[in-house]
Amino acid sequence: MMNDAPTLKLDRVTKRYDEFTAVNELSLSVRSGRIFGLLGPNGAGKTTTIRMIVNITAPDEGTVELFGKAMNSELQNRIGYLPEERGLYKKMRVGEQLRFFGALKGLTGRRAEEVIDRWLARVKLSDWKNRKADELSKGMQQKVQFIATVMHDPDLLILDEPFSGLDPKNVDLLEEIVLELKAAGKTIIFSTHMMANAERLCDDICLINRSRKVLDGSLREIKRSFGRNAVALRVEEGDTSVLQDSSLVAKLVHRSDEVEALLAADADVQELLRRLVAAGARVTKFELIEPSLHDIFITKVDETDGQASGDNQA
Amino acid sequence: MDKLLAIIKREYLQRVRSRMFVVWTILGPLMLVFFSVVPALVFGIKAGEPTRIAVVDETGKMFERVRAAIVDEEGLDKAEEATETNNPIKNINASPQERVKNASRNLGGSFIVEPYNLNGRSLEESERELNQQVLKHQLDGYLIIPRDVLTSGQISYHGRNTGDVVTMDQIHDRVATAIRTQIIAEANVPQKIFADVNRPLKMDSQRITEKGTERDTGAGFIMVLVVGFLIYLMLVTYGQVILGAVVEEKETRIAEVLFSSVRSFTLMMGKLIGVSLVALTQYGIWAIVFLLFALYGVGALAARGIPVALPHIAPSLIIYFIIFFLLGYFIYATIYALVGAMVTTTQEGGQVALPVIFLLMIGFYLSFAVMRSPDSSFGFWVSMIPFWAPITMMVRIVTGQPPFWEIALSILICIATVVLLIWLAARVYRIGMLMYGKRASIPEVIRWVRQP
Repeated sequence: MMNDAPTLKLDRVTKRYDEFTAVNELSLSVRSGRIFGLLGPNGAGKTTTIRMIVNITAPDEGTVELFGKAMNSELQNRIGYLPEERGLYKKMRVGEQLRFFGALKGLTGRRAEEVIDRWLARVKLSDWKNRKADELSKGMQQKVQFIATVMHDPDLLILDEPFSGLDPKNVDLLEEIVLELKAAGKTIIFSTHMMANAERLCDDICLINRSRKVLDGSLREIKRSFGRNAVALRVEEGDTSVLQDSSLVAKLVHRSDEVEALLAADADVQELLRRLVAAGARVTKFELIEPSLHDIFITKVDETDGQASGDNQA
Repeated sequence: MDKLLAIIKREYLQRVRSRMFVVWTILGPLMLVFFSVVPALVFGIKAGEPTRIAVVDETGKMFERVRAAIVDEEGLDKAEEATETNNPIKNINASPQERVKNASRNLGGSFIVEPYNLNGRSLEESERELNQQVLKHQLDGYLIIPRDVLTSGQISYHGRNTGDVVTMDQIHDRVATAIRTQIIAEANVPQKIFADVNRPLKMDSQRITEKGTERDTGAGFIMVLVVGFLIYLMLVTYGQVILGAVVEEKETRIAEVLFSSVRSFTLMMGKLIGVSLVALTQYGIWAIVFLLFALYGVGALAARGIPVALPHIAPSLIIYFIIFFLLGYFIYATIYALVGAMVTTTQEGGQVALPVIFLLMIGFYLSFAVMRSPDSSFGFWVSMIPFWAPITMMVRIVTGQPPFWEIALSILICIATVVLLIWLAARVYRIGMLMYGKRASIPEVIRWVRQP
């Protein structure tokens, strides 16, 4: 599966609902065998974009191409989609539900049964196969929904907020499975607000805000392009007033036992360290760090929001 | 196709296996029996004592005849009754009032009739005394037959319970007979002529068709009523189920997962077929039970030497019956599906769906007009409107001679309507789903439908 042709390609896709443009000329390509993060604040157009990818709605303009073919209902069988709005049939047994969802993706009979048993064992729900869905806890239901998404062995997996409502143990379990699927050559699109998860899992990201793409590329390169412009430091005692100097430090974030200083443009890191030492501060940690995805997200969203409101006023 | 089957299978099995289905399948026929037999029984049973009536006979010559008529009536026309109750067609056509009357005649209360002698007292005085007796429950009521009854045709009844319509009716009818026989007797008309005059007239209707004449037993018309009634019954029992099935994935938020696997038309079609199969299963079970009972009944009667004439129904009529019943059911079922597609919860849907039944009722009423002039242009147009065609076309087939192309056209229009409505429901569902938590207005629905 590892080849250069993108698994998924969106070309200037636009979707309007009445007067409102939900997605505006969005182009992106998702490479095979990678985890692709589709990020953005609420209402940015993520869900609409995903719905066009899975062929629930058709774009008004532009094209969606999957596995090198124009999107059609045949290709749906090769996608596994876990939407943010998700549920189970309350009165159906877990096994029955999975058999039904499997059949909708063309997975039936003996093979379906084996796959269901294997996955239930994998997420530690084997004992619950014959229980009705409304007897399951929310986290268990979510794991069943996850199985329904992956059981037919799709080549493209789309997970919209897959970890919301899960305890840390189950988050780890699902992350582990997602990474296994990636290793097996599956392409995964991952949509979330939780930047920490995205940062841990994603190879590539696309950030959208107000229906438009703001940023995309490999997470590595994006971080590099933002430069090592932040310092994590811990100062035991002494004068730290230097950090208030806006010509050196643009923003100061207090963490539990250290501070993170985002450097001002053109500020010299050496200068900051020199001034701290000169002021008699006792520095126990001084590390040049990359900005977190969280910081990049906020910076970029604020930036485009500012532009948009500027546009509106103009 | 596999996906469609998977949806049908799920809808069907989930419902047929549910406890409610089993309970209703068993309870249904029991309730039908209960509601058709019990009211008649309750009306028919005159609880407690026989009705005691005193007769104040001012003519002095009527008492014996009146007494005999009231008390012995049951004995007099047993034969006539027997033929009437064995005639199912008459029973089906009877109004509820008539049915109660028939039942009460069979199970009717008995009477005790006694004379009241004036003994020279004035009528007012006697009434006072009789009123006392009635209030003391020595009597249930009394009849006053005035001297000029044969010319005035006027009598009066005084009693505690004049609200007992059945008893009032019986007394009225029986005294009327007594008075008629008295008049005839006084005119010296031979008994034979009297009997001839009173004999009810029977009319055989012969229906002339291209295949020759046939005796019209009225069975065809009953079939029309049955088609209409079955459609109605199925909608009352299963309309909400269809609506609920369509709303289910919205309420459980499964819709989005499903749409990433199947087209909304397939989903809608699967739901409609699945639920309809459940309905047909249930009605099929009931039909078999009913048939077995009927066969058992016919067999039992035949064993006792009573021949039962089964109504003759042409096979083509049975085929039309099945076709129009299914079409009628599916047309209205898809309307329910459409309503389900528009709303977000089942409760909401219940209110919106109410007018659907009215639409069907209009078809019922139109069928009476069509019955009188089945081959008129009014009849033609009404049987081309899909919402009414299943009833009105059936009426025309039974009562008139519509050309085959008209029947075929009507069937085609109905099929096209069903497909169109499913398509519409699927479309409204898919677009409506993208906007959770809000009921679609009619203008919105129209806009969605026109959207690419």
